[in-house]
Amino acid sequence: MNGESWWEFVVDRLPELWLRLGQHLTLTGAAIFLAVLIGIPCGILATRWPALRSSILASVGILQTIPSLAMLTLLLALFHRIGAMPAIVALTLYALLPIVRNTIAGLDSVSKDVLQAAVGIGMTPSQQLSMVRLPLALPIIIAGVRTAAVTCVGVATLAAFIGAGGLGQFINRGLALANTPLILLGAIPAALLAIVVDFAVSAAGWALSPERRVGRSEQKFQTLQAAALLVPFLVFGAGGMAYVGSSPDIVVGSKIWSESLILGHMMADLIEDATDLKVDRRFCLGGTMICHGALVNGEIDMYVEYTGTGLTTVLHATSANDPQTVYDTVKTSYEEQFAVEWLPPLGINNTYALAVRKDAAEKNGWRRISDLQESAVDLTAGWTAEFAERPDGYLGLSKMYEFEFGTVVDIQSGLMYAAVAAGEVDVIAAYSTDGRIAAYDLLLLEDDRRFFPPYFAAPVVKQATLEKYPDVGRSLLKLANILDDRTMQQLNLEVDEHKRNPEEVAREFLVKRGLVK
Amino acid sequence: MISLVDVSKSFDGGATFAVRELSLEIERGETVVLLGSSGCGKSTTLKMMLRLLDPTDGELRVEGKLLTELNPINWRRSVGYVFQGIGLFPHLSVRRNVAIGLKLAGWEQEASRQRVDEMLQVVGLKPQEFGNRLPGELSGGQQQRVGVARALATDPDYLLMDEPFGALDALTRDELQRQMLDLKQRLKKTVVFVTHDIFEALSLGDRIAVLHEGRLEQVGTPQEVVGAPATEFVRDLFGKPAKQLAAFRDVLNER
Repeated sequence: MNGESWWEFVVDRLPELWLRLGQHLTLTGAAIFLAVLIGIPCGILATRWPALRSSILASVGILQTIPSLAMLTLLLALFHRIGAMPAIVALTLYALLPIVRNTIAGLDSVSKDVLQAAVGIGMTPSQQLSMVRLPLALPIIIAGVRTAAVTCVGVATLAAFIGAGGLGQFINRGLALANTPLILLGAIPAALLAIVVDFAVSAAGWALSPERRVGRSEQKFQTLQAAALLVPFLVFGAGGMAYVGSSPDIVVGSKIWSESLILGHMMADLIEDATDLKVDRRFCLGGTMICHGALVNGEIDMYVEYTGTGLTTVLHATSANDPQTVYDTVKTSYEEQFAVEWLPPLGINNTYALAVRKDAAEKNGWRRISDLQESAVDLTAGWTAEFAERPDGYLGLSKMYEFEFGTVVDIQSGLMYAAVAAGEVDVIAAYSTDGRIAAYDLLLLEDDRRFFPPYFAAPVVKQATLEKYPDVGRSLLKLANILDDRTMQQLNLEVDEHKRNPEEVAREFLVKRGLVK
Repeated sequence: MISLVDVSKSFDGGATFAVRELSLEIERGETVVLLGSSGCGKSTTLKMMLRLLDPTDGELRVEGKLLTELNPINWRRSVGYVFQGIGLFPHLSVRRNVAIGLKLAGWEQEASRQRVDEMLQVVGLKPQEFGNRLPGELSGGQQQRVGVARALATDPDYLLMDEPFGALDALTRDELQRQMLDLKQRLKKTVVFVTHDIFEALSLGDRIAVLHEGRLEQVGTPQEVVGAPATEFVRDLFGKPAKQLAAFRDVLNER
């Protein structure tokens, strides 16, 4: 935190905290509302037709067992879009089980005597339900809604992963930057929010509860009842206002590591400086496909992509070695296929490179990737899940060099440099612009079979955005060739090792170059 | 008039019968007590009258019309029913419980409120004191009074009562029985009253129908069933308390 007190740390981020809190509440509120709307009728159906009971319970039960991240990614694939919609659907599906189960349990809990009285007195089945069974089941149903609400607040922290925002944004960013205070800035409010939401739902439950005490005047009670009913609306309403009030003109996205964040901030800063547009920084959007999907669907207007990634991961083309060829290929293909413009490269080539400790390299005589072949079976490699699955990652690498490592573990990109330096793994797939290569005394092995394609960073921007706001394109052109690998390494190091805010680092750089005031 | 003709009810497809070939006529304005020990079929018979159950065999008629041809919801609403184990709605106040039949019949709120308070007074509960309480805040006797008030609220021609005082202590039961007698004389309802209590049957019933293992043993006025028991079972049933009473008197005389 660099001398910054925790108080300043929080105050600095208060406006964003408020926005993220609002998003979080909107997501959870919408999901709970939908889940109540769907879940209670499902529970009623299940008790009305016992044949449906087990199938309804089984299906909502299965939904609950799908891991949250898998569910989010699944819905992402299903809807072909990121943002609030798939997140709300996922949260709704999670909230269903406790609501359906408690509705059934509540309706079942009504005693036979009371039910017989309801029939005997001449109530129709729907009157039995609305006048007797539902009111008596209400406390149990409310308990289910509370469980669902608290679960939703928790799961919603993952929604940031697919660009829905919320408090998870801080957690994601904190994880990407290995920055604990940032993680806590998301996690603590989320925990407090769970308590507030729980209280709000139980206040509504109290207001609807028939168990009124005697002695208190009816009128006083009704005032209290109305006040309690208002609580959840106020809580979720306030959240919704914060969310809606933030609708931006331009949305800048980023992937989930420091460099992507710094470059994202640079773009956003330049646009804000040159125009009056309202810019939202929707950063840390998970992997390439999430960013790309978001761009194509208009959830974001731009982010910084790498030519090699665009070629292999997005276009599924075989990698090429000549940087200009690669850039030209992605530029034409993106224009034709996605109506997306590749702006001129920024001047850095952030290619993958296998990195090892310098002392280990000296001891074993490793200089090139081929040198690892003999001892590979005894080595442990660590890299991001994305690298493990990419065609231009481990899959292609092992084919090209004709060997595989003995053990491969998935590590967050923010943590792998420390892991290799500490000897927990032997080889990592580093990013060549990462400042920690020098800081941790690592050696980049030469790619002697020229496997890794060039990864020149460049902004990718929706053509529609460029047409609508010509100033945006003009201001972003200032970034062309502004950086080189060494400069980028230093900027990255400021964030990764010195734990500085990426926004600050980006701004400092732009000011030093005289690009913004 | 409610008439039962050869009514049988089996819950297991005919292997055993809870009620067998029961024939009985209940005249307008009279109180008939169904008397018997538990499992004799008296509650089942009452439930068939309310159409909570349908007979396996035989038929029930109301004013000559087949009960199965009446709309069950409308029929139940036209009957006052007092439940075994009270059967009040625990989430509704006393007033709302009593008003429920009126609400189903679509009464105006103000008229309903007046009627409810009137009924609470009839059963001896002060509306101001008890009206807003929940059933759980009342004693067993008070709850049962509310149950009676609820059954009377719609001014039904028929009153079906299923061991209404069974769960109460002896003193409360005595008092409610006395009140019941009073009500009966004032309101002139047709009442079918189920009990296992011989004295309750003797004091409330214009006629008593003695049931044993699903069969009707005898129907008659209290004088008839005590003075001229038709079967061994009926003789034993009323003979036993007479013997106990004699023993009681002997003890008193020895002093």
